Amino acid sequence: MSGSGARENIFATRMALTNTKLRLKGAQTGHSLLAKKRDALTTRFRAILRKVDEAKRKMGRVMQLASFSMAEVTYATGDISYLVQEQAKQATFRVKTKQENVSGVVLPAFEVDRVPGSDFNLTGLGRGGQQVLKAKETYAKAIETLVELASLQTAFTILDEVIRATNRRVNAIEHVVMPRLENTIKYIMSELDEMDREEFFRLKKVQGKKKRDTAARQLEEAAKGAPDEEAIFTADDSAATDLLSSKDDDVIF
Amino acid sequence: MEALLFNVDSGFLEAIVRGYKAGILSQSHYANLTQCESLEDFRTQLSATDYGNFLANEPLPLSTSTIADRATGILVDQFNYIRTNAVAPLSKFLEYITYGYMIDNVVLLITGTLHERDTHELLERCHPLGVFDTMPALCVATNVEELYQSVLVETPLAPYFRDCLSASDLDDLNIEIIRNTVYKAYLEDFHHFCSSLGSPTSDVMQRLLSFEADRRTVNITINSFGTELSKEQRAKLFPAIGRLFPEGNNQLAKADDIDQVRVVCENISEYRSFFDGASSSANGESHGTMSQLEDRFFNMEVHLNKQSFLQQFQYGVFYSYMKLKEQEIRNLTWIAECIAQDAKDRIQDFIPIF
Amino acid sequence: MATSAKERNLIAVIGDEDSITGLLLAGVGHINEQQKKNFLIVDAKTQVSTIEAAFQEFTERKDIAILLINQHVAEKIRPTVDKYQQAFPALLEIPSKDHPYDPSKDSVLKRVQKLFGD
Repeated sequence: MSGSGARENIFATRMALTNTKLRLKGAQTGHSLLAKKRDALTTRFRAILRKVDEAKRKMGRVMQLASFSMAEVTYATGDISYLVQEQAKQATFRVKTKQENVSGVVLPAFEVDRVPGSDFNLTGLGRGGQQVLKAKETYAKAIETLVELASLQTAFTILDEVIRATNRRVNAIEHVVMPRLENTIKYIMSELDEMDREEFFRLKKVQGKKKRDTAARQLEEAAKGAPDEEAIFTADDSAATDLLSSKDDDVIF
Repeated sequence: MEALLFNVDSGFLEAIVRGYKAGILSQSHYANLTQCESLEDFRTQLSATDYGNFLANEPLPLSTSTIADRATGILVDQFNYIRTNAVAPLSKFLEYITYGYMIDNVVLLITGTLHERDTHELLERCHPLGVFDTMPALCVATNVEELYQSVLVETPLAPYFRDCLSASDLDDLNIEIIRNTVYKAYLEDFHHFCSSLGSPTSDVMQRLLSFEADRRTVNITINSFGTELSKEQRAKLFPAIGRLFPEGNNQLAKADDIDQVRVVCENISEYRSFFDGASSSANGESHGTMSQLEDRFFNMEVHLNKQSFLQQFQYGVFYSYMKLKEQEIRNLTWIAECIAQDAKDRIQDFIPIF
Repeated sequence: MATSAKERNLIAVIGDEDSITGLLLAGVGHINEQQKKNFLIVDAKTQVSTIEAAFQEFTERKDIAILLINQHVAEKIRPTVDKYQQAFPALLEIPSKDHPYDPSKDSVLKRVQKLFGD
């Protein structure tokens, strides 16, 4: 029984037993805490999943609107793509990262950080400027959706990772650490039991020897006619009972 | 007199253009095209028109830009045919038509050079009508100074550039300002040239160019609201022709909001309708009416261009045909775009020609 | 992770011309001191290796928070995209004009679906 399963390589002592028991207790607490964390994260994760799903679909629509506004620009202004590409210098549409704490996991959330710029203000000056402006706004809105989606997705990726890690830990505690500690405890106890039985047997043996010796001495005394033989025997007997009862306590414990 | 001798040189070509004009898609063609479910249907429908099977060799899936490219290709072929058969002064007139596209091309090349890009790949992006023989020479220029010199030496646009801009302007000014400055010079020059051709060409073209100039003036005014373009700069971009010139232009140069533009335009009966419905919504929600304005301009342009076909023995038909055809290509692209992007509710927003 | 996220504030794009033009109009375009752009235009002639290289570059740059990629472009380098698991920069597949959005191809959505499935 104590040989089956992995156990820690320690001396089977009472001290070690206490320590191991404490560790088992710790592992159990850790397990339940981690399990709670996992549940909290999973709840959050599920919510985010749903949102990611929704947002992705929404993005499909928003981007369609945006590219349609681009078609309007092409209709009114002609091809402006090259001009726009070459005029890009400094991003006026950036994102800021802020953080949110979910059960000890730091989730980043992107926020749109837009500096009003005048980059393309003059594009389509002679023709179609209004469409360009409109496309600009539509795309800006589309990117806002994209940024929102990006935060969700980042949260998704990070949470996914954290949940995996937590799951690994929970499982590791449940299936590796705890059984091993339990095995160790069982092993120590069985060793201690063994030692108890040996001790008991040894005492019995000693007692038997003592009895035999006493009997021999009594016979001798009797032969001599000694008086105090009864008292000695009683004292010896009570000592033996004491030892036995204390051992029993331990066994139960 | 004009009518007597016109046909000697240009009768054949006018007939050709009028023949081409008959091939412009009609309302019923558009009705069919807007019913299409996919771009393949679209192609089939188009093959029943004068376009024929111009898309037959295109690999599937079709993209809207290929459609636009191929349609432009047809137009370019037609134009080149006319051009090769033309004699002066019609050939000069046709050349003037190409200058508008050239400006765009040169501006594109300037942009490329300013950003030290390989300008050779830009040549493909240039509008085929604005291609001139010496254009590749512009690509050799590696800095702005060189480019400016080669524009002056190599291009027919030299006078426009010389008069309005210096080499350092190319570096400092926003590319759009350059474009519009040059375009203004071009319009004025074209206008001048047309008046030299005498009636009836000058009458017809004056009408068209005036409208084009006014459209630019109004557009520049509206589009420069809320930008860094100062009022003096703005005034410099206004072509000095058109029906708004000079009082209207002066007022527009000082205009601060759309209402003022409207007041100016109301002085001219034809332009009055442009701002219908735009009156009260000057602030936030003016986007819709503004893009409507663009549509109304297009409508007006089509209308004017159609009118120029009513008069015989003049060159305006060539210009008008080009403009109408361009509008048609825009329409086709628009419809194709609507089909491709599944935006059927907007598919009617094109401008039918006949 | 949290500290490095602070410096990330750009949005990078890999996509076709129209998508890029639109996004640049909105103001995402950025060219840094080394003349590095934060966008790559993919057309029919673009080599897959170029896309791959740009993808690697954008994912390794420290100033990019979000990487947008057209879905049909992502299709071309699907294995690389599927392998990409980092949180930063966040990778988003976006639809393009000629290619409407197909949720079943999105590598993130695929994972979402899988997680919902079991």
